[in-house]
Amino acid sequence: MTRRHALAWGGGAVALVVAALWARAQIAGLDVETQATNPIVRWEWVFLREETRTELWDATYQHLELTFIAVGAGTVISAALSAVALRLRWSLTPITAFTGFLYTIPSVALFGLLRSRFGNVVAAEVALTSYTLLVLVRNMVAGIDGVPAAVTDAADGLGLSRSRRLLTVELPLALPVIVAGLRVATVTTVGLVGITAIIQLGGLGSLIFDGFGTQYYTKIVVGSVLSVLLAVVLDLMFNRLEILLTPWARRRVAQ
Amino acid sequence: MNGGLSGQPSNFIEWFTDLENRASAAPIPEQMWLTVWHSAVAVLVVIVLAVPLAVVLAHHRRGELAASWIINIGRAVPTITIVGLLVIVSLRNGFGLVPWPIIIALVLLGLPPAFTNTYAAVRGVEPSAVSAAQAMGFSHTQVMLRVELPLALPVIFAGVRTAAVQIVATEPLAAFFGAEGLGAYLRSGLSTRDFAEVQAGAVLVAGVAIAVELGLILAGRLVLPEGVRRSARTSRAARRLSRQAAPATT
Repeated sequence: MTRRHALAWGGGAVALVVAALWARAQIAGLDVETQATNPIVRWEWVFLREETRTELWDATYQHLELTFIAVGAGTVISAALSAVALRLRWSLTPITAFTGFLYTIPSVALFGLLRSRFGNVVAAEVALTSYTLLVLVRNMVAGIDGVPAAVTDAADGLGLSRSRRLLTVELPLALPVIVAGLRVATVTTVGLVGITAIIQLGGLGSLIFDGFGTQYYTKIVVGSVLSVLLAVVLDLMFNRLEILLTPWARRRVAQ
Repeated sequence: MNGGLSGQPSNFIEWFTDLENRASAAPIPEQMWLTVWHSAVAVLVVIVLAVPLAVVLAHHRRGELAASWIINIGRAVPTITIVGLLVIVSLRNGFGLVPWPIIIALVLLGLPPAFTNTYAAVRGVEPSAVSAAQAMGFSHTQVMLRVELPLALPVIFAGVRTAAVQIVATEPLAAFFGAEGLGAYLRSGLSTRDFAEVQAGAVLVAGVAIAVELGLILAGRLVLPEGVRRSARTSRAARRLSRQAAPATT
């Protein structure tokens, strides 16, 4: 496993270096004014144009901002919904049905519909938040439910109050499943944020829309590559977080 | 009701009934037909590509790593990226935009859920049923077609349903890249700030997606034998795969 990891990381690093060298070679002798015959990627736009850096940074920042506000709000709402569902068992079915229904509404439609009532940002955040609920509630409830009965019995036997049992016993044990839910919700939201370009937001998605509007392919390519990269990086980060939060899982493997 | 310029309908109900103002836009049945046939072709291609491959791979216990990679890639690559890249390729090569680039993008979107559900479903078939069939002298093909496929059908059907809903919900995005279809109302409404038209487009798009979802759930109830639906069991590997799989991102 470690050898495979080392190979993967090494291969990735080599590929990155080669790609960077190749890209530098592409812009050798070019400057910002160079007008090639509309190639797919204008490397001078990517590397030499001064404004590109701030534009890309702004787009990435907006993308992350929209994502994290939505996932944050979604987490708070889902925690409340899960608490209700865990206390009142009968409410689990309607809550799941409702969040599932929200998930079925096409994002293009929901962004448009909310935009007809609210401003761009509010419309985008409300829609994005509502899409995170299904995965988050499902994983939160499954995580707490998955705590073995023997463990909760032991906690009760020790005389822990219900809230203390939840915070100190059930929540830590449920954490891997909850973080897995956060991971899926975050990566999904990163993908959906791109579509908010239809209501003048979009983060990196706005590059794709601009590029299409002005027939400037470089922007489409850069926007596409960066949005995939963002999703992959966040996915890997949550993967590490899962491992960090559950040291016992690794220890068990090691034994 | 406020909002809307003078002379424009102020909400979607008025928009639907206001035939005069709407004369410039393409008629609803035409746009709906475009969306439906783009989606239908994409769903058929997804079924033809994903289901047999996943059944064979899962039967031979091959490609588990590939299956989990497909889940992750399907989740990480944003819809808009697929559409954007296909648009470049098709415009540069003079293929135009409609309909094939759109359909290919929709196929790429639908493949992961269909593939992973089918794979997980076949992996989850009760091993004793497979052993019994083998003991009776069934060949690999017979086991796949007569034992695994029927038993896995409910979960396969759920995967195809997820893919179909995702496809039909995403097709309107193509309108923002110059295609026609139900998304055209959203595009023109958003660009002219005619929010009645936006609402009408949103209602149409959401209506079609929800109709497809409910229609396929109903079709599943009618078509799949009850015994099979009940006995859908999942093995540990199948559960692990399905836990990783995100529901459709529309």
